[in-house]
Amino acid sequence: MTAAPIHTRDDKRVSLDALAEMVPDNAVVAVGGGLSSREPMALIRALLRRGVKGLTVVGSAHGVDIDLLCAGGAVSRCAESYVGFEQDFGLAPNYRRALESGAVEMQDNCCYTLVQQLRAAIQGLPFLPIRSLRGTSFPTLHPEYKRMICPFTGEELLLVPALAPDVALIHVQCGDARGNLAIQGPPVADILFAKASRLVLATVERIVPSATLREMRGAHVPYFYVAALAEAPLGAHPTACYPFYTYDRAHLALYHDAARQGPQAFAARYLDVFVTGAPRHADYLARIGGDATRARLASWRDGDEAWRNLYREAAPA
Amino acid sequence: MITRCTTGEMMIAALARTIADGDLVFHGFGSPLVQLALHVAKRTRAPHMVLVAGATYGVDPTPPFLAPTSNDWVMDRGADCWLDIEELFDLAAAGRMGRMFLSGLQIDRWGNCNVTGLGRGAMTMKLPGGGGGANLSCDARRVTLWTAAHRAPPDASGRRRFRLVEACDFITNLGHRGADGTPRARYGHIGGGPDWLITELGVFDFDAEGHMRLTARYADVSVQEIVDNTGLPLRMADTIDIVAPPDRRTVEFIRALDPLNVHARELRAEDASRSFDLADATERERA
Repeated sequence: MTAAPIHTRDDKRVSLDALAEMVPDNAVVAVGGGLSSREPMALIRALLRRGVKGLTVVGSAHGVDIDLLCAGGAVSRCAESYVGFEQDFGLAPNYRRALESGAVEMQDNCCYTLVQQLRAAIQGLPFLPIRSLRGTSFPTLHPEYKRMICPFTGEELLLVPALAPDVALIHVQCGDARGNLAIQGPPVADILFAKASRLVLATVERIVPSATLREMRGAHVPYFYVAALAEAPLGAHPTACYPFYTYDRAHLALYHDAARQGPQAFAARYLDVFVTGAPRHADYLARIGGDATRARLASWRDGDEAWRNLYREAAPA
Repeated sequence: MITRCTTGEMMIAALARTIADGDLVFHGFGSPLVQLALHVAKRTRAPHMVLVAGATYGVDPTPPFLAPTSNDWVMDRGADCWLDIEELFDLAAAGRMGRMFLSGLQIDRWGNCNVTGLGRGAMTMKLPGGGGGANLSCDARRVTLWTAAHRAPPDASGRRRFRLVEACDFITNLGHRGADGTPRARYGHIGGGPDWLITELGVFDFDAEGHMRLTARYADVSVQEIVDNTGLPLRMADTIDIVAPPDRRTVEFIRALDPLNVHARELRAEDASRSFDLADATERERA
């Protein structure tokens, strides 16, 4: 095992495009956030615009992030544990097509297996054992798993190898110029990803003074794990990033409807408009409605009725 | 006054009955019927259950309403504290999780579930993926299975895709026998496997051999209808009961917590619109 790096530069702020340039083709990439919250969508759009190829994506429960990466032809292997839109929109259409056609190799993982693999990397160990999973079909997707008899108890265990992703892509609410990151709400697997990965690239809603982070009781990801960060307001859109904004149901309805109609419709109605058609993050923000959209998605603070109404929105005509 | 309830509300009540007071219970994502069942149980029969919300890992939250996505701040409002993803799974691995709820696009006779992909060899349909179910099906002490799509109507070409099948194409979540028929006990897992399966047509338990067995039907469903919609030969309990309806207060609670009616999206329209007399109404008739 090669030693994991640490990053100590005082100012790690770069542009979003420079961040995207740091992700090599064919990298193993851990995508932060989960389901419809705090996914690094601005960075993912920048990656697609730069034409990244051959990624292996690893993670727990995801949605539009992995579906969009699959649609953009950026993924060759997928080791997520779930990709979908739950009861709101159901199956993830681009993801499904990519795996059914064989364009993306299926290496589905499961949450605790992933946790143990990341923990092994964090601890500098070659593997960790789990008791679960034996008897399921997952070992057929992962011939690298090994069985052993525990030398202490005599019971059979499954050994899962350390997983140190090449890159972790993470979007959080606040960070400082040195790369300290503060996460509000569920961290999902982001802290594990940050500690296990060799290169942590972050976008943040706001870059704040280090003193402000200390007042917020400190960073959840200390600066020395983080290689570079960029400020990207609404950088998780269309997923949620509380307390700033909820997920944009109307935009996701538009997304899902375009994706459901096939690759050509999705390219014309979505990729050409919101990804390649919006060359900078500022163009994307203008295209989704700018300040009016920001205000609409922040209206959850106005009370439960306003919050509920954001989940009733349909796709724009 | 509310005098009748829907199929979804019947299922929520049936799912809640599988929860024991004092258990640590977790629900995954994409499972509004189960989310509601946990909140019903916490407020009725199991006040000392530890309710851990899927995706946010909030402990004992009191959400103002149910959102259609689980990893949302609305779902963990009022939580006492939050677990990390690793802590939640460690609790299960160490035997502290009393019950977990799991489902699949295929559920087989041994209670195995497939949430990964249809087709053997070549994949004909990629499914959303199992999340942490594979681990928790082994580690949670007991598992309740559920599906709101037991009914298997023929598609345009007349083909029926059964939800309840003899064998899963892929075992995402372990039931009582592994892919090669190995009995679960041989793996030495901490958990005992599924003991209930709740569907929109009936309620099943698992016999001594670990095989699913019909124990109850809803009042408006015949045993023959259940047989016709099941892709394996059914085993039957000695007596087939009628699934008990919830009481009015439970239904009022469900409707207040789910004003967007998110849970009805788990059901087909024809099943969502079925209705049943409440327990209170049945009692009045008896009196």
